[in-house]
Amino acid sequence: MKRILFLLLTISQISLFAQTTISGKVTDSKNIPIEGANVYLDGTYDGSSTNEKGEFSFLTSEKGNQTIVISYISFETFIKTANITSLKNLKVKLREDVNSLDAVVINAGTFEAGEKAKVTVLKPLDIVTTASALGDVMGALQTLPGTSTVDEDGRLFVRGGEAEETQIFIDGMRVFTPYAPAARNIPTRGRFSPFLFKGISFSTGGYSAEYGQALSSVLQLNTIDEPIEEKTDLSFMTLGLGVGNTQIWGSNSFSINASYINLAPYQEAFPDRNTWNKPVQSLSGEMVYRHKFKNESLLKLYGAFNYTTFDLIQEDINFENGFQFGLKNRNLYFNASYKNKFENNWRLETGLSFTNDYSDVNIFDDTVLDNENSMHVKLKLRKRFSNRFKLSFGSEYFITNFNEDYISNTNNLYEFDFDNNIFASFVETDIFFSKSLAAKVGLRLENSELLNQFTVSPRISVAHKISNNSQFSLAYGQFYQNPKNDYLKFNQNFKAENTSHLIANYQATKQGQIFRIEAYLKDYNNLVKFDGNTATFSSNYNNNGNGYAKGFDVFWRQNRKIKNTDYWVSYSYLDTERDYRNYPTAATPSFASKHNLSLVAKHWVESWKSQLGFTYNFASGRNYTNPNEIGFLNNKTKNYNSLSVNWAYLIDQQKILYFSVNNVLGTQNVFGYNYKNTPEPNGNFNRQAIIPNTDRFFFVGFFWTISNNKNTNQLDNL
Amino acid sequence: MKKSILIIAIFIATGIAAQTKYQKGMQKAFSLWEQGKMTESSQLFERISKAEPTKWLPAYYTATVEILSSFGLKDETALKAKLTKAQEFLDIARANSENNPEILITQAFLNLGYIAFDGQKYGMTLSGKTNQLYAKALQIAPNNPRVILGNAEWNMGTAKYFGKSTKPYCSEIKRAIELGKKEKIEIEFYPKFMQNRAEEVLKQCE
Repeated sequence: MKRILFLLLTISQISLFAQTTISGKVTDSKNIPIEGANVYLDGTYDGSSTNEKGEFSFLTSEKGNQTIVISYISFETFIKTANITSLKNLKVKLREDVNSLDAVVINAGTFEAGEKAKVTVLKPLDIVTTASALGDVMGALQTLPGTSTVDEDGRLFVRGGEAEETQIFIDGMRVFTPYAPAARNIPTRGRFSPFLFKGISFSTGGYSAEYGQALSSVLQLNTIDEPIEEKTDLSFMTLGLGVGNTQIWGSNSFSINASYINLAPYQEAFPDRNTWNKPVQSLSGEMVYRHKFKNESLLKLYGAFNYTTFDLIQEDINFENGFQFGLKNRNLYFNASYKNKFENNWRLETGLSFTNDYSDVNIFDDTVLDNENSMHVKLKLRKRFSNRFKLSFGSEYFITNFNEDYISNTNNLYEFDFDNNIFASFVETDIFFSKSLAAKVGLRLENSELLNQFTVSPRISVAHKISNNSQFSLAYGQFYQNPKNDYLKFNQNFKAENTSHLIANYQATKQGQIFRIEAYLKDYNNLVKFDGNTATFSSNYNNNGNGYAKGFDVFWRQNRKIKNTDYWVSYSYLDTERDYRNYPTAATPSFASKHNLSLVAKHWVESWKSQLGFTYNFASGRNYTNPNEIGFLNNKTKNYNSLSVNWAYLIDQQKILYFSVNNVLGTQNVFGYNYKNTPEPNGNFNRQAIIPNTDRFFFVGFFWTISNNKNTNQLDNL
Repeated sequence: MKKSILIIAIFIATGIAAQTKYQKGMQKAFSLWEQGKMTESSQLFERISKAEPTKWLPAYYTATVEILSSFGLKDETALKAKLTKAQEFLDIARANSENNPEILITQAFLNLGYIAFDGQKYGMTLSGKTNQLYAKALQIAPNNPRVILGNAEWNMGTAKYFGKSTKPYCSEIKRAIELGKKEKIEIEFYPKFMQNRAEEVLKQCE
């Protein structure tokens, strides 16, 4: 009997003796021990954690070939299969995970918004809570450095470039006519509602080879993949009404919104400097359908429709009875995109966008009918070889047909028509040499059928992390863009306009604060020149223009260091000259100002259940030509100043009252001067200041969200 | 006598064997957790999860420990790394047990980790999703005390943010406590209702 007991005990002893010891040491690439790494044999319970010296040791009764796994947060997991007896005194160096949040980011030129971004400059909420922006994406971006305040226009002017030099993309597909139509001296707005987007990437230079036909800037907007809940939104505003609804069923969702804007009541209450024959009226709607397939691939269809009319008479020194301008514009935009992941880390993205834009413009008794049909198709493939090496490549085709009928007051018809088709291919690699050094190298090839021209644009950017909180990056690129429609409709014997960008960026980030400074140099070539006062069909055109833009941008944002307060400051210094259009000599164009400053602040007042915000914009004077003096663009306007305030009051969790006033101090800003075509008897030319249509702009809105869940509201929409 | 010793010896030997590796591993992980050795505990749960790829509980606890240890972190890199890991294991748990209310509310808890860290950045997308998760969990398990308590706590947080009274949720918490006392857990290592914590939440409520 005792023998049996003894036997039982010895068996358990033997089984102990049969165990193998697994041991070793884990360090990082600099031989610093890693404490707390998880070390185990895959598929077994056997394992342990490393101690403060990075050492581990454990027993196992497994036999033969086994896989040892060593994992630690922020490092790539180490995996090795070998015979159990050889897993002794291992020396393992874990490689840093280049995907972690503190890895270097290639960011020269680019501002990111959205939670996916590693360093967020703008938050999604900012678009709609910035006082001066009035819920317009473009308005919010104008508080970032690199942009110039051109308040009579409203479009994005980036680093000495014209507004047409910025291209806008939704889900990777081009938007050909992104701005709503507006009369002279009235700022335009983007056509899309900001509520549909989850992420924004705004590049002011040196962007990826994936994007072309943009000399200065690229703005990418990404729509929401999956809406969270079904709801109905109602908006009652001083300018009009809006309604929106979201439905979700299975793996499908559908969002629709519509709005009707009529400025008549507002213009009645606050008359401006114009005589309105017909007030601004606009009817617009957007729809998004999303479908998620079983294999996680995603299809999105986005459609937008807008119809706008107005007719007004603006005071003009050259027209005794004023300058009459009427417009009817119809715009249709459709965008389909599909993305899918395949085996072996392949990823496919493809899409199509279509734009039809029709305008009927009346200037006195002349009529201009413009019709533009444009299409963009794109296919992009991406292969992830490892976390450290990724390759993407693709092709795209842009088709534009533009047609203009000009009917003069004598009933003569002039017709202008052109097709601007461009084929492009691009290839790009992302290489991480380590967690602190990364590069992106790309090449873009374009062939323009209209200009019969083939262009090659290399792009490269490098980023290096200097310390835990700061990094330095450099970018260089060549960019080509066909001349704008205003010229192409009269002449097609052009070359593409060209610019090169050289950018150096320094960025330091800490929790809740970010500082960046970026210097740039842009060299413009082959800019379009023409003769005469304006570009017409009888002008002589050439591509001999050139120019430069250089300067630096500074951005500082701090969040919650001051209680319940978030603020940012942007400053841009711009030195630019161009010899283009009908300029007799190189000069700083009238849209460029040397100094631009924006200060945006938001403060949450708990006891008032309110968010108060203000935006201050400053721009130094801009050039204009005074014909009473010798020279071209020989004078400067006074500086531009504007202070805007807003107040969002939460009545309850589903109802919000919103007030805002732009230029609350009523500063008398001057954008330039309009001189009389003919001099007075004393030889002097009289002038008229180009000023805003109204000094202040008021907005009051009531927003109501109806959903099953009582917690959501349109605070996000403000 | 001798015979009975033999029987007892065999009984002990087989008895030890009858307690499976899984049970031993889980018990050890829980005891590490109780001792406050969060890293070791999470890593052991992680190893068990990898060795038992069809069980949801080890992955569920790996995620839970990671989420708990992420609260109060000041460094976004560390927070994101921890919560990304937690998400990975929660996804494994979900793949092994669909529509499990315990996993749903842990996902809500994970979202709260992000929202508590930076409400402005993460709140916009995650708070709606979190609402949905509680709604779904309540639909599946209307009398689960953990679901009721989690939902009440979440609503209290929202009410506080909007400066509203948290009173309406007190009765829910009381109900959760009552249900928690009565609850009989049949599955081994199934999540338990924390009576003490619930009492504390009730104090905050009143």
